Amino acid sequence: MASVQAAPRLAVAAPRPWWRGTPGLVVAVVIGMLIAYFGWQNAVLWPGGLTWQSLSHDLDNFQTWLSDRRNVPHPSVFFVVFNGVATFLDDIVGWLTSFFFKLTWVGTTVLGTAIVLRFGGRRAALGTAAAFVSFAALGVWEASMRTFALTFASVALSLAIGVPVGIAAGRSDRVQRVITPVLDAMQIIPAFAYLMPIVLLLSVGPGAAVATTLIYSIPPAIRITALGIRSVPTNTVEAAEAFGATTLQTLLKVQLPLARRLVLLAVNQTILFALSMVVIAGLIGGQGLGDVVTNGLYSDPALAILAGFTIVIMAIALDRATEAMAIRTDPAHRHLTAERKRALRIYTAALTAAVGLAIGLGLALHAGSSWSRKTAQDWLLARIQSVLDYVQNPSTFIFHITNPVGDFIVRWGLTPLDNFFVQTPWPAMVFGLALIAFLVSGLRPAVTTVAMLAIVGVSNEWTQAMDTLSQVLVATALTLLVGIPLGIWAAESNRVQKTMRPVLDVLQTLPQLVYIIPFIYLMPVSIVPGVIAAVLYASPVVIRLVDAGVREVSPNTVEAAGAFGATRLQVLAKVKVPLARDAIMLGVNQGLIMVLAVVVIGGLVGSGGLGYDVAQGLGRGLFGQGVLASLAILCLGIALDRVTRGRVRRREGIV
Amino acid sequence: MRRASAAGVLLAVVAALVAAGGAGAKARACGTVTINEQAWAGSTANTYVVKNVLEKNLGCKVNITKVTEVPVYQAMADGKTDAILEDWGHIPQQKQYVTKQHTVVYAGKNGVTGVIGWYIPTYLMKQHPEFKTWKGLKGEETLFKSPESGSQGMFLGGDPSYQQKDQTLIKALHLNFKFVSVGAEPAQVARWEQLYKQHKPVIFYWYDPQYLNATYQLSQVQLPARFKGCLDDEKQGGPPAKYACAYPTYVLTKYMSKKFADSGSPAVTVVKNFSWSNSDQNYVAGLIAGKHMDPDKAAQQWIAKNQAKVNAWLGK
Repeated sequence: MASVQAAPRLAVAAPRPWWRGTPGLVVAVVIGMLIAYFGWQNAVLWPGGLTWQSLSHDLDNFQTWLSDRRNVPHPSVFFVVFNGVATFLDDIVGWLTSFFFKLTWVGTTVLGTAIVLRFGGRRAALGTAAAFVSFAALGVWEASMRTFALTFASVALSLAIGVPVGIAAGRSDRVQRVITPVLDAMQIIPAFAYLMPIVLLLSVGPGAAVATTLIYSIPPAIRITALGIRSVPTNTVEAAEAFGATTLQTLLKVQLPLARRLVLLAVNQTILFALSMVVIAGLIGGQGLGDVVTNGLYSDPALAILAGFTIVIMAIALDRATEAMAIRTDPAHRHLTAERKRALRIYTAALTAAVGLAIGLGLALHAGSSWSRKTAQDWLLARIQSVLDYVQNPSTFIFHITNPVGDFIVRWGLTPLDNFFVQTPWPAMVFGLALIAFLVSGLRPAVTTVAMLAIVGVSNEWTQAMDTLSQVLVATALTLLVGIPLGIWAAESNRVQKTMRPVLDVLQTLPQLVYIIPFIYLMPVSIVPGVIAAVLYASPVVIRLVDAGVREVSPNTVEAAGAFGATRLQVLAKVKVPLARDAIMLGVNQGLIMVLAVVVIGGLVGSGGLGYDVAQGLGRGLFGQGVLASLAILCLGIALDRVTRGRVRRREGIV
Repeated sequence: MRRASAAGVLLAVVAALVAAGGAGAKARACGTVTINEQAWAGSTANTYVVKNVLEKNLGCKVNITKVTEVPVYQAMADGKTDAILEDWGHIPQQKQYVTKQHTVVYAGKNGVTGVIGWYIPTYLMKQHPEFKTWKGLKGEETLFKSPESGSQGMFLGGDPSYQQKDQTLIKALHLNFKFVSVGAEPAQVARWEQLYKQHKPVIFYWYDPQYLNATYQLSQVQLPARFKGCLDDEKQGGPPAKYACAYPTYVLTKYMSKKFADSGSPAVTVVKNFSWSNSDQNYVAGLIAGKHMDPDKAAQQWIAKNQAKVNAWLGK
């Protein structure tokens, strides 16, 4: 100790006390905003003169104009082209659906299982068979096959488009820069806002449903593929080039194989994202399980839960099957001898014969396109109903805990926060938020923040947007607080990762309304259900990306650190996490985007704000209102994203 | 070996195609009719009763689509949906598709009268008979306090996709209520059901016919009488005083695609003639949503008891 004190301290600047650092300054700004809030509460509203009053109406007129152009005996080439696209997509889904039905349920089950058995192995095939059997046993075979056809087409198209674009974005910074804001918009703008334009261009039906799903499920395919390509160490790529590999060879033989884990994650996320759109796709003729969920929510919640879990089963089975097939067919691990090849051929033939036999038997015995015999549905519905009855009973022990807790959070936490955002004079709010953005991340993010807030105000959404912002901030903070530590934990322990995986699958694909509405019975207040839905939906993506990123860190570096005597915690904090920064930042960005993506769900369960306006826009045919509220959500997203990103850049010393 | 397996697949495919061809539906002059069903139980009741009448009496093949309320107009314009049997007043869409484009055709009333209004539990009405009219609420709003409404009373708003003007109405009547948008109908039901079960005060946007009205005793609070020029769509804007009147009574209507109307199918007559009462619809909706009966069976049960009405629809 003495020697340390004796050392000259000139070289090191004296640490500033915290109140003079960034946190202190931010606190000072917040205090200033609070003074403005208490002094002029509700007194200074966004002035009518600063809004573009007719904008919403103009947008409505645009939609009417589009509809009038389309619904004539001979629409222009523009509509004919879209009509062609719609017919093409309708045909793909229609063909797949009728194919499944024609094979009979026996044939479809055996065919699916055989394919997975041949390419993915026994374990995955067992899972596939179990999934098919459960569709029959739950009495939702027909709806499941329709949803399966829709998902299959959507995922195939998403990957066909997403992986190549992702590779391009991974190899070129310029492509990445151009494409990122587009992807942000695709994910943030709620489907409710573009359902009507899609219907005007593609009509209703499976084609429109696929298009809606694609908008949401392509971005993860692109983003994660790009991340994978970028995560391949530069020296490996350089080595390949030094050996004279062409660009294509480098890509196919080096980059893609080394990015395999992340490309697989991209496939997994595409499947889950596509299935999370099933309910919304149902609103414009997607048919299948989405319809069962929607109808169930209004008149039979137990059925909605059952259909919701069927979607989850499909997601997990599809994901595990594709994963197993990808691993088994990995050229790096396959060394086929002539003898093994022969055996495989016989195996293939035997399986094909079995499928043919099953289809033949199914047809001969009139098994029918779907399972129509006795199912476990009624029995299960009764069980689910008894759980629901307990949840919906306000005299249970649990209710006496959850009810006051919910009341407390709303009364003392969320409502005051909401009031602060909504009722603070707008100039103080804009100035305060911009100042915080400047302190935290620098000038450019601050300018972006001001611009985005201005757009929100001008498009007449100020109050609603502030309402939503307060909730989004809470939900995002909770998401990161939950997601990042769990992601790191999952990366450190295979057991944790394995246990968590199915839970994350459930959270990403079970339609939110299915579990949030029973939750409202336990905690009958506003805002809380919406925040919980957002955190539950957004944290799985964060966990997965952080997990994959930390695991991606080169083992050599970790070993080197270990050799220097670093403890496990030190390795984690000083080596793995800093090196996984790209993935963690993508996790933060995706967490934020996912929270914004379910703002509409919040509007449907009592969060009000922009989500309510978007939902009302679709429900009452107020196109302009829906678009403007969605635009406001996007603006909040862009501002928040730039502020969080700017912070990292600043640390790196770029800004 | 390869060739053998290929032959196997081919055989299976051919077998599948043959079987599918043979199993086509036996449809007479009627052909296929596509009816759209909405999420609420009343709509399911309409749809399945008409479906069963068309299938059993005219030999039609009936498809059911479940497109949501506004896009369904475009679906009818495209001929992807032939008919909707219950519409709660989508005025802009009707102006656009029916009046202007003539791609959708009005198909008459469905006989059911829709009532929208402010409802409270009947037990509360008994304790506070003054709540019979909105004037009785004045000064007593705090009875409806909730954690999110602060010092005001809480008014539970309806599903965002439903016709409503409560925010403006509260302002116009100078009531000390905070309008709380609790979201979609299932979420709103969750909120008032829990308060109802605890016998606590609650006031909310609600409507009839609704199958839950058979389970819960609810009473309507009378709003100011309607006057000439009073408004209902708060999105139109204008002074709040113009909205200070009760909701109109909605005569629910049917619409069909122009293509279907011109097709000459015998099903068109049934769709046009279909009309029944609130109690008819409540009966079938209650079986489906309340007792979780299979919709086809529920519809057949009603048809068996009401053959005379069905005959009238068929024009017999």
